[in-house]
Amino acid sequence: MARVHKGLAIISLCALGLTACAKTDEPGAAQSPGQQQGAVRIGISLPLTGDFSEPGKGIQEGYQVWADRVNAKGGLLGRKVELLFRDDASDPNRVSSDYESLITQDKVDLVFGPFSSRLVIPAAKVAESYNMVFVEPAGAAAEVFEQGFTRLFYAAPAIADDHYDYLADHLVKLPADQRPKTAAYASLDDPFAQGTAYGLRDKLAAAGVETVVDEVYPPETTDFAPIAAKIAAANPDIVVGGTQFEDAVGLVRALQELKVQPKLAAFSTGPTLPEFPEAVRGAAEHIVSPVGWSATADLPGNQEMVARYKQMFGGEPNEDAANGYTVGQIIETAVAAVQCADPSRACQDKLTQHIRQATFQTVVGPLSFDDQGRPEQAHMIQQYVDGKIEIVLPEQARTAELVYPKQAW
Amino acid sequence: MSLILQGLALGVLTGGLYALLASGLSLYFGVMRVVMVAHPAFLFLAAYLTYTVHTAFGVDPFLALPVTVPVFFVLGVAVQRLLVARLAPDNLAMMSVLLTFGLALTIEGLLGTFYTGSYRSISMEYATRSLTVGGVSLPYDRIIAFAVAALTLGVLFAVLVKSRFGRALRATIQHPEAARLVGIPTERVAGYGFGVGLATAAVGGTVLALITPFFPASHWVWIGKLMAIIVVGGLGSVVGAALAAVLLGVVEGVVLVTVDATWATMMFYVFVFLTLLARPQGFFGGRLAHRF
Repeated sequence: MARVHKGLAIISLCALGLTACAKTDEPGAAQSPGQQQGAVRIGISLPLTGDFSEPGKGIQEGYQVWADRVNAKGGLLGRKVELLFRDDASDPNRVSSDYESLITQDKVDLVFGPFSSRLVIPAAKVAESYNMVFVEPAGAAAEVFEQGFTRLFYAAPAIADDHYDYLADHLVKLPADQRPKTAAYASLDDPFAQGTAYGLRDKLAAAGVETVVDEVYPPETTDFAPIAAKIAAANPDIVVGGTQFEDAVGLVRALQELKVQPKLAAFSTGPTLPEFPEAVRGAAEHIVSPVGWSATADLPGNQEMVARYKQMFGGEPNEDAANGYTVGQIIETAVAAVQCADPSRACQDKLTQHIRQATFQTVVGPLSFDDQGRPEQAHMIQQYVDGKIEIVLPEQARTAELVYPKQAW
Repeated sequence: MSLILQGLALGVLTGGLYALLASGLSLYFGVMRVVMVAHPAFLFLAAYLTYTVHTAFGVDPFLALPVTVPVFFVLGVAVQRLLVARLAPDNLAMMSVLLTFGLALTIEGLLGTFYTGSYRSISMEYATRSLTVGGVSLPYDRIIAFAVAALTLGVLFAVLVKSRFGRALRATIQHPEAARLVGIPTERVAGYGFGVGLATAAVGGTVLALITPFFPASHWVWIGKLMAIIVVGGLGSVVGAALAAVLLGVVEGVVLVTVDATWATMMFYVFVFLTLLARPQGFFGGRLAHRF
């Protein structure tokens, strides 16, 4: 009942918002003949409120840091970069209308993607229908790349299914007496979170690790104790959570309460956020996660981004900010290569073709894309060791040895 | 079998928490047919205030209650007198949804401004341990939540049944016109009723802060669950809401361990459908529901 009310209210608010925008934007649209010489205007809708507000803000900051850096050194093709943000309130319907109005009414030159697969798919449909190149910072679910999009590129090292690749390889190669025999999986009903957990599950299952619990919970879940009770009853060697933040914390706490002591605990996303160790107290030790970016990595522009972020927002950037920044880096390189940044079909075609065949040096490492826009690299694996985040896999990037089995939590 | 017992035990404990969280909603609806969509937002406002008291003074989160409960009571009276009382009475239920939806968005926005969108959490020493009784683990934080809920609801019930204010409030719930005729200042009583409802949100918020991490938009997932509970319990019946909360908590817990989490969450809505089909006034109490 409340959902219906909420939905209705959101729709009416959206309608109000749209009419308001239509009015205020008219003067701007009238000046469009001089647009070519003016700023490069980039249209972006982000979940700045609602479920994804936290990562949404991170991405926004990443975009802003990038624009600030580009403007400081003279802009794109000598034109200043101007970012137009819309708040889609984490609502897939609103994200479509946001991009629709950014492209048709604000007549932006380029668009950048929103956060999360659930919003990326509807947004990319709109961008595709106007032939706009669509580089996105966070839409890693398999479905994103199965929609037949021809102008979508995911600006991160790996799609969801490949996040745990290094960990899966490592576990499979362990001697038979050390290799885990049973595994429990609990995943949020979200294409990205599920993708990460299932990628690992499928690889381990193929190597003979038995799946003893395979649980999916909806985003409304607030109580994780019964899920932990199921895992406790199966007593698995490893526990894998396809999680975001609240559910990662909820699962860790519930597993502790129900005295589950696995040899390895892997959770997506949650443990990579700075709030995590405090939220689970001492239990963060030896938890592993896939991570697409590291603040200490020596990659092109990385230290410059970290410094500029600290200067603009204070504090450390997170992976979301890095992903936003990466989108900017890709577009920046592509625009410089094809020498245009306007919404015309010819220019957008050139950008698309360039991005499809080139390899980009970014803050998350070198990136290249397959025909559906999937990145062709893999995530690093991080682990809390002595309270610090260390990169444990792959070998060439590691700062510490993987601790396995983990200490009791 | 032990798994079902475990699910049952967890369900009862969680049900107690639900009862506490839903009790305020039931009061608002009972007193003045107000659908208070902003109740969960107030819960998380209380959770944030508790967090501030806890981190600023390093004290146990429950020591925030002497501050938050009176503040929320006053806030509730103010919201009722300044906002809700001004709504047109002939369309109160619908208009109150819009008004309190706006309140919820305002609170969410303010929380985002003051506390940023980052997750906050209060993790006490006892939050990760549990008591084992006959193979069933009972987490301490859930036991505490259940005890606090029982205590709060006990006090609330005693106030409603025993005190003069409680009698006036119940008279206002049952028949506002008649209550006015016998000299009850129904407007003031309604204001206090709203205040009491928000005071329960202060307690509920503190308990929630112990159990789950939160961010400004956390309240949305609770609206559906809590509304389902008061519909099943019988709109306006505090006791009905408490019983329905425990029932739905147990159903959720057992379905979760036997089937899966998606079905467990759906149970809330299945019960709403069953209630509306079989007994629209609610399964417990709810004597007044057929009047509107």
